[in-house]
Amino acid sequence: MDIRFSGVSKVFYPDITALEDVYLEIPKGEFVYLVGPTGSGKTTLLRCITREVAPTRGQITVGSFSLRKISRVDLSIFRRDIGIIFQDFCLLPHLNVFENVAFVLEVLGAPSREVKERTGEILDQVNLWRRRFLYPPQLSGGEQQRVAVARAIVNSPSVLLADEPTGNLDLHTAEEIMQLIMSINALGTTVIMATHNQYLVDAFRQRVIGIRSGRVVRDEKRGRYNLDGEL
Amino acid sequence: MGSFKYALRDGTRLIIRHWGLAFLTVVTSMAVFYLIGASVLLVLNARHIVNFLEGELSVQAYLAPGADFEIAARQAATLTHVKEVRIITREMALERLKQRMPDRAESVTILGENPLPESLEIAVDRADSIESVVTALAAIPLIDDIVYAGGLAEKWARFSRFAGKFSLAILLVAITASAVVLFNTIRIAVYSKEEEIGIMLMVGATPTFVAMPFVLQGVILGGIGSFGASIFLALSYSGIITRLKEMVPFLPLLEQHAVVLELGLILVGAGATVSLIASLVAVETFTRRAMKPL
Ligand SMILES: Nc1ncnc2c1ncn2[C@@H]1O[C@H](COP(=O)(O)OP(=O)(O)OP(=O)(O)O)[C@@H](O)[C@H]1O
Ligand SMILES: [Mg+2]
Repeated sequence: MDIRFSGVSKVFYPDITALEDVYLEIPKGEFVYLVGPTGSGKTTLLRCITREVAPTRGQITVGSFSLRKISRVDLSIFRRDIGIIFQDFCLLPHLNVFENVAFVLEVLGAPSREVKERTGEILDQVNLWRRRFLYPPQLSGGEQQRVAVARAIVNSPSVLLADEPTGNLDLHTAEEIMQLIMSINALGTTVIMATHNQYLVDAFRQRVIGIRSGRVVRDEKRGRYNLDGEL
Repeated sequence: MGSFKYALRDGTRLIIRHWGLAFLTVVTSMAVFYLIGASVLLVLNARHIVNFLEGELSVQAYLAPGADFEIAARQAATLTHVKEVRIITREMALERLKQRMPDRAESVTILGENPLPESLEIAVDRADSIESVVTALAAIPLIDDIVYAGGLAEKWARFSRFAGKFSLAILLVAITASAVVLFNTIRIAVYSKEEEIGIMLMVGATPTFVAMPFVLQGVILGGIGSFGASIFLALSYSGIITRLKEMVPFLPLLEQHAVVLELGLILVGAGATVSLIASLVAVETFTRRAMKPL
């Protein structure tokens, strides 16, 4: 699914401009870093794609979906194809690791055998199989992060939105998660990753979109995190 | 099918998780539906008694001296609510008197002459209409005097009408009350899973899918409540009927089990419907808001 922003602005009540006149074109299968200082609008941009936020002005289309007027049912169908790693994880505290991941597949009505198999597979990939019966509060920050990643990719979405997916990880684990996300991207999933991790951006070179105060200030094909001492 | 199993599992989990609330909801809706059922039975019985008494509804009209009773009878027959007009001749009147009170009849005929007047016997269709028929009859000049014994039937009819209105009021209040209770229970359950619902909607669960466990929870609670109410109603009704029959043997009461069974089915149906609607509204308003973008 191609993602297109044309002239998107978002003003939060009463007058906080989170995005201003954003034009973007992200073709299917691309890997994009979203960088910018804190409060620059990265999360808001991602939330526009999931339609948690409706732009004040402008249009967003994702694949064949025009998000301005999408019915509730279409929105659900649309969201099934989008994996989200939330900045604050959003794990369910009363479900264990396995259930937190399996839940996504159950909600989509997958048969229970498939749910078990697929969840097991993905927990193996993020090295959490041995922790599958633990509850989120019992996990370290990094482990929670990996559960969030597992949940986002378990149903092989067309688009993966990752909001600071390596925020709580040491460099080694961050790299592992990064490898995982890259391998998903290699299978054709579009990835948009908001991050402050300079090391990753510079080590795994990809397209970099820089935003500042809600505006796109740079867009480079194989960019770096820090250009000319700027963000 | 998989999603129904999910809904059933989650619905029962919700009930178990909020068992205290579930218990209260069941008890409340049981009380409410019992009240509804009892008032319906009261109305049905009042109607039944009225129907029974209406079998004997008639008005006697005595004619002015020298009036032609054929004409008077025809005039009376044209009135609305009049079912039948019979002419009672002097001979017939005497016959009746003889049948009912032989000794009185003898004393009447001792003079050799039949002193009983001619009259019209007018059958009225319903107890409610007696009053209007009597007024209309009084307006016919050929008719001199009107006697009717419909007082009891009329009183019952009035009571039955009152009971009908009363039970309609009870029905409305009770249905509203049970809807509110169920609505609140479901809403509490929904809010207890607010976070989970939010994430479900984010990963693409449809609002219907999200709603199912809650709706099922509501229907189960409302269903149990109204079912329990029906059982209690059937038991207490047969008890009351037995007692009343001992005390007032001639009172015609509804005794068919079919009536109570049918009423029970209707109650359970109503309980399920009310809880279905109440819980749908509770979840829908929530998911609608949750899916609205900022
Ligand atoms: N719901 C909201 N209501 C009002 N203002 C908001 C809302 N959400 C975000 N904002 C504002 O919009 C601006 C951009 O926020 P956003 O979360 O997109 O930043 P960010 O780039 O993700 O920052 P960070 O790197 O710290 O995660 C901020 O000034 C924030 O206060
Ligand atoms: Mg953010």
